[in-house]
Order: sequence, then structure tokens, then C-alpha cells
Amino acid sequence: MKFFSQSFLYDDPWSIVSLAFFLRYPNPYAAHVISCDVIDRHQTESGSLLTTRLILKRGALPRWAPQGIISRAESWVIEESEVDPFGKFVRCRTKNLDHVKVMQVEETQLFEQNEDGRTMQTTEAYITSKFGWGMTKRIESHGLARFKAHVQRSRQGVSLILDLIRQARLQPMALSSYITHLHSDHSFASTDTPTSSHSSDNTGHAPEEYSSPTTENTWLGKIWGSR
Amino acid sequence: MAHSLSPECTPLKHEYDACFNTWFEGYLEPAIANANTKGHSQSQRIEYSKQKKEEYDRKCGSIWAEYKDCVQKAVTEKGLGGLLSQARQENPLREPPPPDASGSS
Repeated sequence: MKFFSQSFLYDDPWSIVSLAFFLRYPNPYAAHVISCDVIDRHQTESGSLLTTRLILKRGALPRWAPQGIISRAESWVIEESEVDPFGKFVRCRTKNLDHVKVMQVEETQLFEQNEDGRTMQTTEAYITSKFGWGMTKRIESHGLARFKAHVQRSRQGVSLILDLIRQARLQPMALSSYITHLHSDHSFASTDTPTSSHSSDNTGHAPEEYSSPTTENTWLGKIWGSR
Repeated sequence: MAHSLSPECTPLKHEYDACFNTWFEGYLEPAIANANTKGHSQSQRIEYSKQKKEEYDRKCGSIWAEYKDCVQKAVTEKGLGGLLSQARQENPLREPPPPDASGSS
């Protein structure tokens, strides 16, 4: 088993970071998220909001993985979260439901407001393989390396959404112009801004390329929905 | 907004998400309105919660019911019901909150 723990401080207040965390799919740093559904949601008597989401993620297997180790490189993930607007914390626990013998990743996130008004995010993860065949350690190490990269990308995704929320709050009227984009079914990869038609090189589409203002506008509509 | 696991639920999901997001922004409000929200009394919390629940039911209740039905049907069809109920039995969020989050000080 491998354990991972890391903290990160956002400059924004808790309520905005929490909103961004809930709105984080889709974003260009989470292209592996195929679907995301709320399957249960209710409020407790004391005012916390409990949400269960079912998420389908696309994964890529490392080159050294044996053929047929799993039947498909997709994984169902369950996410259970609690939001307490009085205690100012969000707790969120995530784990994969299938391929658990190959590798189970259990992740917890905690968002708390600091006394200085900033928001502390604490991420912890347990990565466990029960695969055997002398590969357990290798799979776990790979899982840990992948998880570290994932934490980084996930944070970039939340930061991008934070930017969009800040923009939206500064110019609420601008939101109406995004509504036309709302239910368009284009994937984000197809929202490339037209550029000069040089022969394509091999740089691919790094997420940073999507931060042009025009694409962000499309994003905002998709993330926010009609108001 | 992200897709639903079933294409036929995606329009319902988008409509529900839009409704929820607007409600949720307001739901987070005690944190904005009062810097010292940890001082809220239990009765204030209960009153606020009731009010927010009523607002949610009124605004998003019917689309939530429709969307939830659609997803539940899709979950059953995909044979995910067993996996899900097993995972949810180990429900981590029914545990009491960590001591530092319960507002001691």
C-alpha cells in the first residue's frame, strides 16, 4: 500500500473554492472524465449537504501492463461529499468501484477555511494493489506516480474554474451571451479557435492552449448552465 | 457540463445541474454573509437548512426527480446497482465530522 498526502492553499475564500470544486467537471485538465452523475443528494437536519456522484473515467494502462489485465481501460468511481456551510468545510471521498484487485485508489479531500480567509485543501490517498504475480509493488508505484500528476492537474482545473467564477461575478451580464453554447454537444477538443493553417506539428493540444478568452467563454457556459 | 452516463439522461442532467448550481451558490451563503459563522446556533442552522431544502424542492425538485429516475434506470441497465450499493454500505460520510471541523474554539 502507498500513502500520499499534500496540502495546498488557495487565496480565495472557502465558499468560492467549494463552488469551483463542485463545478470542476468538465474542464480541460479533466479530459479523462467521460460522465458524471448525481445519484443521491440530500440535506441533513443540521444543514449539511450530502452528495453521491457516479463518475466514469478513462484510464490508460502503462506499456508494461500484461495484456488483458483489465477488460477495458475505463473505471467507475464513486464520490461522496459533505458540504457544511456553517462549519465551512467540504469533505469528499472518492474510490474506484471496478478493477479493485488490480488497483484501488481511495482519495479524500478536505477544504477548510483558514483564519486568514484563505482556503486549505488537504488531499490524501491510499493506493492498494492486490494483483500479486510479483507486480503489486510496481503497480502501486505506478499508481502513486499517476496520482501525483493527477493532483496537479486537478488543482489546475479547479483554478481555471475559480478564474471563471471571478470573471462571472465581475460581469454578470456577460453570462447571458454564453447561454447559446449551453446545450451544444461539442467536445472541448473541438472548440479550437481558428488559427493559421500551418502544417500541423507534433505539439498536440496541451491544456494551456485552451485558455484563450474565446474558449473560456464557451467553457463558462458549459460549466455554469443557464441562470 | 459533463455528460450523463446515459445519453438520454444528458439533457435532464444539464437542466438539473443548472438549477442546482444556482441554488448551491446561495446555499454556501452563510459562509459569505457572516465571517463568524461558527457562532451560529443549532436552531439557526436547522431553520436555515429547512428554508434551503424548501427552496431546493420548489425550484429543482421536479427536474431532480426526473433526472434521478433516468439515471437509476441506466445504472440498473448497466448492471452497476450491486457495485454501488456495496460501495455505499461503507459510507464514509456518516461518520462524525473531524474534531477540528466541528468548531471548537
